[in-house]
Amino acid sequence: MTERPNRLGRFAVRGVFWRHYLDWAAINLPFHVYPVQVVFFTLFFFFFAAPARRAIVANLAIVLPGSSRAMNYLRAFRTLSNFAWTISESAIHKLLKEEFSYKIIGAEWLEQLGAAPGAIVLTAHMGSYDLGAALFAEKFRREIRVVRAPEPDRQSAQHLTGSLEKAGEGAVKIDYNTAGALLSFDLLKALRAGEIVSIQGDRAEGEVSQVAARLFGHEVQLPNGPFVLALVAQVPIYPLFIARIGCRHYAIIVHEPIRLENTGDRESDIANGVGQWCAILEETVAQHWDQWFAFTPIFTR
Amino acid sequence: MSTGEFPRFYFALPRLLATFRGGSSKRAENNGGEAWIASIASYLVSYLFFAQFIPATLGLWSGVLSFVLLAFLVWLFSLLALYLNSLVIKLLQVCGLFRSIPIRRAQSILVAGTASAMALQLLGDGGWSAEIAAIWIVAVVMNLAAAAILAFRNGDRAHS
Repeated sequence: MTERPNRLGRFAVRGVFWRHYLDWAAINLPFHVYPVQVVFFTLFFFFFAAPARRAIVANLAIVLPGSSRAMNYLRAFRTLSNFAWTISESAIHKLLKEEFSYKIIGAEWLEQLGAAPGAIVLTAHMGSYDLGAALFAEKFRREIRVVRAPEPDRQSAQHLTGSLEKAGEGAVKIDYNTAGALLSFDLLKALRAGEIVSIQGDRAEGEVSQVAARLFGHEVQLPNGPFVLALVAQVPIYPLFIARIGCRHYAIIVHEPIRLENTGDRESDIANGVGQWCAILEETVAQHWDQWFAFTPIFTR
Repeated sequence: MSTGEFPRFYFALPRLLATFRGGSSKRAENNGGEAWIASIASYLVSYLFFAQFIPATLGLWSGVLSFVLLAFLVWLFSLLALYLNSLVIKLLQVCGLFRSIPIRRAQSILVAGTASAMALQLLGDGGWSAEIAAIWIVAVVMNLAAAAILAFRNGDRAHS
């Protein structure tokens, strides 16, 4: 059976058209055109990406308890605006290799990660995680395998994979987190070979193996893959986030690694690691709620 | 990427002022304040230019609605203009012009040129929109003068 191309699908909110537009803009638009363009594109997506907008508002109601719904709509606008800025700047970095500046919070952990013989970078849909992988590969001259949730649009997925690999100049390899067990074995092998694997650990999508956890006092489902891998391969998990703090200016936030001890009680060992990760994630999301690009409802009601 | 924290600028005038204060005159595209000011200013000039075509005879609510709608129409116009500019630049490059500078810098010249043409037209109208147009033109002229000074000082290109 052949797949019929959906011509209008490319213009959908998560369609490839917008990714191509960003690439075009990176090459053709001067940087001083961006602010007004970002405001209007954010307005456009604020109205047309209704499921994402509603998800942000619902998540913010829990992240910022006591906040009003009206204010959370404004905060959702701010979050979408930050998303527009980060994906625009990722495109600029990928295509123009323009100069970006950054500051590192937790430099000793980043150095440790750069020298680690096999480690997991646990991150979130926050700030410019794509830029972060490219930066890591550039700074430490090491390969990094980035595991992502599959994109709903096939063309967007192809474009995104190509973009990330191009930004990382061959040092960033992309794997998609699907239900298959093959990827787990592949990642385990990579970790045992001393590679760095980056996984987004703030939401479990699709049929990936999940673990129940508590975040901001509410139940959430998180992927348990990173914790199982860390336990089996006996490698540390480095919580790492990239937050945008200004025009082409980023903060790389690295936390002390989470080490999972194998006590023989697998569930307890994993729960311990998940608990530590949730504490860090909670702290970071509370601080950078406007850059938490959780466009699906995270919290179980 | 760099870990540098030095304030640097894109436009010639702040770059020239930076050199007077011992800073760098090298062009950079990472100054958010500069980007916002230029972006809002060029949008405002375009908005005021098109706003003059809204009939003054409209009622209060239809007038307000027209001005709100105009904000989006000006944005759509700017998207179209930027796209057409990119085609013009490609054509000029085929003809041997603008080959030594990136497309986005050539686009910057066309954006400033278009906004300046609109501002010149606004000048004749009087009122506060003419004041804003005058500020835009003075800023463009000062920027061009600064670009010329930078070019004489250190061989920098004068097209910014």
